[in-house]
Amino acid sequence: MENDNLNKLWEVQANCSLISPKEIIRKAKKQRNGQYTSITVMTLTVVILIIYTFYCAFNQLNTFNLGLILMTSSLTFRIIIEFYSLYRKEKQLISMTQKTYYAYLKKYYKTRQIINYAITPICITVYIIGFYLLLPYFKEYFSQTFYNYIIISGVLSLTVIISIIVHSIIKEQRFLNQLNT
Amino acid sequence: MITEQEFTNIYNLYASKVHRLCLGYASGNNDLSNEWLQETFIKVWKHRNSFKGKSSIDTWIYRIAVNVCLGDLRKSSKSIAITEDLLSNSSNDDKKDDDEKNIQKMYHCIDQLNEQNRALILLELENIPQATIADTVGLAHGTLRTRLSRIRKSLLKCIKNGKRQLK
Repeated sequence: MENDNLNKLWEVQANCSLISPKEIIRKAKKQRNGQYTSITVMTLTVVILIIYTFYCAFNQLNTFNLGLILMTSSLTFRIIIEFYSLYRKEKQLISMTQKTYYAYLKKYYKTRQIINYAITPICITVYIIGFYLLLPYFKEYFSQTFYNYIIISGVLSLTVIISIIVHSIIKEQRFLNQLNT
Repeated sequence: MITEQEFTNIYNLYASKVHRLCLGYASGNNDLSNEWLQETFIKVWKHRNSFKGKSSIDTWIYRIAVNVCLGDLRKSSKSIAITEDLLSNSSNDDKKDDDEKNIQKMYHCIDQLNEQNRALILLELENIPQATIADTVGLAHGTLRTRLSRIRKSLLKCIKNGKRQLK
């Protein structure tokens, strides 16, 4: 096979029908609106949390308020980190050359390891402590059946969240190994 | 700022090239390359305000496309296996079948290149000017020329002999 034949062979590839540019714009707008909604919801949650902490919880600090603050703040903190990390990655993707982006990705996934192996477990532990602090209140104010439901659904949802996180950690680790080879 | 009409023109001009580029990254997986194509142009539309014209529009698009393909986590599980049937030099008269086999071999050989060489050869195969390739990848023009000639040689050798260790 001669040198020029490489190009000929490449051109033989079947040209399949591609999505229309109108559809791309529609998807891009939908994605952008989704991002704006998520950012608005996150900002509102953080603002409400800060107001609640300063005006209510600190005036009347009990285990209920403490538990609530621990749960919501750990979750909010982790979500903010995720958003920021994705936002930074996208900024670099559109502005860097392949060479610099490749180097950036290696650094990015090394930093993600700190998030995955240190920050995330801390956030999950704080969340569980917060949940545990709320349990006596749930037991006192709710029926036994509803209390059982809260415990079972709490444990189940935590298990699902942890397995999703573990799955993404494995994927990221595999990708980092691939980048380093 | 890029208008909707300008975006449509840009898309019609570059979409098929970007699609084939992604096809090379996805080892011929059409669904994955379609997803990467969409992702590339969604980013082009979303970030059209940040395009300041420091590089040409085609360089900017190819950079996004290459980075989208490079950074997708699913890439690690898409590798195609090459069978003995693909490696054998069949005496099949059907040219279409032969082309198909050679393309599969080519995907396999491209898949064995390192990330930068893969980007270089895929852009080169699309007949993109070397200056644009150099800007997209971030290499000096002189280095690029030497590198491309080396990659072409090893790619040809791999397709011919089914040599499995390319870098």
